[in-house]
Amino acid sequence: MKHLLNNADYFLKEVKAIVRINLLSNILSFISTALIFFILAMVISGWWMSNHVIAVIQGEAEINAYFAESISSAEVIQLADAIKRIDGVREAQLINEGQAYARMVEILGKEARVLEYFDENPFSPFIEIKIHLERMDAVLAELHLLSGIEHVRDNRDVLERLRNLAGIIRFLGYLIVTAVGISTLVIISHIIRQGIDNNREQINTLRLLGAPESFIAFPFLLVGLLLSIGGGILATMLAAYALRYVYAQVAGPLPFIPLPPRETLVLNLIILIASLSTFLGIAGSLFGLFAAKNNQ
Amino acid sequence: MIEAKNLCLRYADGTLALHDINLHVEPGELVYITGPSGSGKTSLLKLFMGVEFPTSGTLKVLDHAVTKGQASNIRRLRMALGPVFQDFKLVKGRSSLENIMLGMRFFGFSSREIKENAREALIRVGLEHKAESLIENLSWGESQRVSIARAVVRKPALILADEPTGNLDRDNALNILEILKACKNEKTAVIITTHATHLINENDGRLIRLNGGAVERTDELK
Ligand SMILES: Nc1ncnc2c1ncn2[C@@H]1O[C@H](COP(=O)(O)OP(=O)(O)OP(=O)(O)O)[C@@H](O)[C@H]1O
Ligand SMILES: [Mg+2]
Repeated sequence: MKHLLNNADYFLKEVKAIVRINLLSNILSFISTALIFFILAMVISGWWMSNHVIAVIQGEAEINAYFAESISSAEVIQLADAIKRIDGVREAQLINEGQAYARMVEILGKEARVLEYFDENPFSPFIEIKIHLERMDAVLAELHLLSGIEHVRDNRDVLERLRNLAGIIRFLGYLIVTAVGISTLVIISHIIRQGIDNNREQINTLRLLGAPESFIAFPFLLVGLLLSIGGGILATMLAAYALRYVYAQVAGPLPFIPLPPRETLVLNLIILIASLSTFLGIAGSLFGLFAAKNNQ
Repeated sequence: MIEAKNLCLRYADGTLALHDINLHVEPGELVYITGPSGSGKTSLLKLFMGVEFPTSGTLKVLDHAVTKGQASNIRRLRMALGPVFQDFKLVKGRSSLENIMLGMRFFGFSSREIKENAREALIRVGLEHKAESLIENLSWGESQRVSIARAVVRKPALILADEPTGNLDRDNALNILEILKACKNEKTAVIITTHATHLINENDGRLIRLNGGAVERTDELK
């Protein structure tokens, strides 16, 4: 460790020399590492977002029960009471036409103007039932037994579709993580090997002078780290920028999609890409060093 | 310091480069190794540096046994040596000073100590005015002196200089020999291979003459 600090200036010069001797390859490797990490960042963000959306929707497991218009308001209250007694129901609340309308205005946001085209309120009153998610099927079965209920709407369908989507994104995520791992390792180890080949003579001299292998290898490790961490930083910056755009696109027109806070998402991305790029940079350099050593 | 017994070296292609070498070198000695081209001078130095290994016989340099398959042992041996190579082995694209510093970067000195020692070594070989010159812009004799400075800066127990006067005119060759002789002290031995026996006007030291891979004769210089 002392070697390393005392010779910091030398190592930096070595890094510069190693990079400069094969500048074009190094620049291209840097760019492709950055792009690979960027794709990873975007897919991982999609994965996290869909997980968040599912978690929120699951937390809000609810059923809307619509009743026949013919029944009186006293009967409706009785009905709500009966529903409350069903095992698995947390809450049952009557939502009248006015409230239903107000909610839709809220959900639609700016687009609520379309509601003005209706002469009268197009929404029916219903009973909003908050339930324990795991009891969903039992509650639905019992609801159907109650008289006065015309039809029931639940969000199982939406949840199911979201889960499928999340499954696909997760699968993509695994593929991308594997691809990122392999290609970063290949790129970095290849560039390190090339650097070593270009510096054979100097390495040989250092060996004759008795330099420790770690001293000889360190500049190459630095080059590998520089490429992968540099690429990671560039990718994170691009991803943060892209996410800002995505959030702007989603949050305005689709305010009801519950996205995780952007700051948290970006912070997690930074942590993930930083640790992954450090790990891959070190591993790639070591691969390159070993490959060069076995080949000498 | 060097202890060679019945030393033989046969290269992979079958060439017997050295055979039955018995040699003993004490600290503070000055030893010239001479002999015709192909007589085994460089091969002997390669053995001392652990670049080649004895095919038979034993060799001990600075208390390190020179045997194959002992990488860390050989590395420590090399750290204690001050090698001056026939082809210099200086790093191109770097200044004289940087090349000399490279000789002692992995000895645990602070960056200031490394720089100061390198400057002193450069002064010792009379090249302080070339500190910042790139290696590829130096003359043959100057490169030779930089490579000696790189060896000296390591404060080695043994300096091994292979043909340091080759390709140099008489004045320059004498100058190089003077610098190398001045490195000899009670702790440091110096071994120089050379063709230029006519330049050796020594009153001290030993002259070993190799021929066909064996010691032909040894002269004490008085
Ligand atoms: N790597 C090698 N493989 C095979 N034979 C070699 C090798 N190196 C040297 N030789 C042979 O070993 C013998 C001794 O060579 P060496 O280089 O030690 O001679 P030298 O005394 O240094 O000669 P010169 O004065 O020309 O430098 C020569 O016959 C040479 O051809
Ligand atoms: Mg020779």
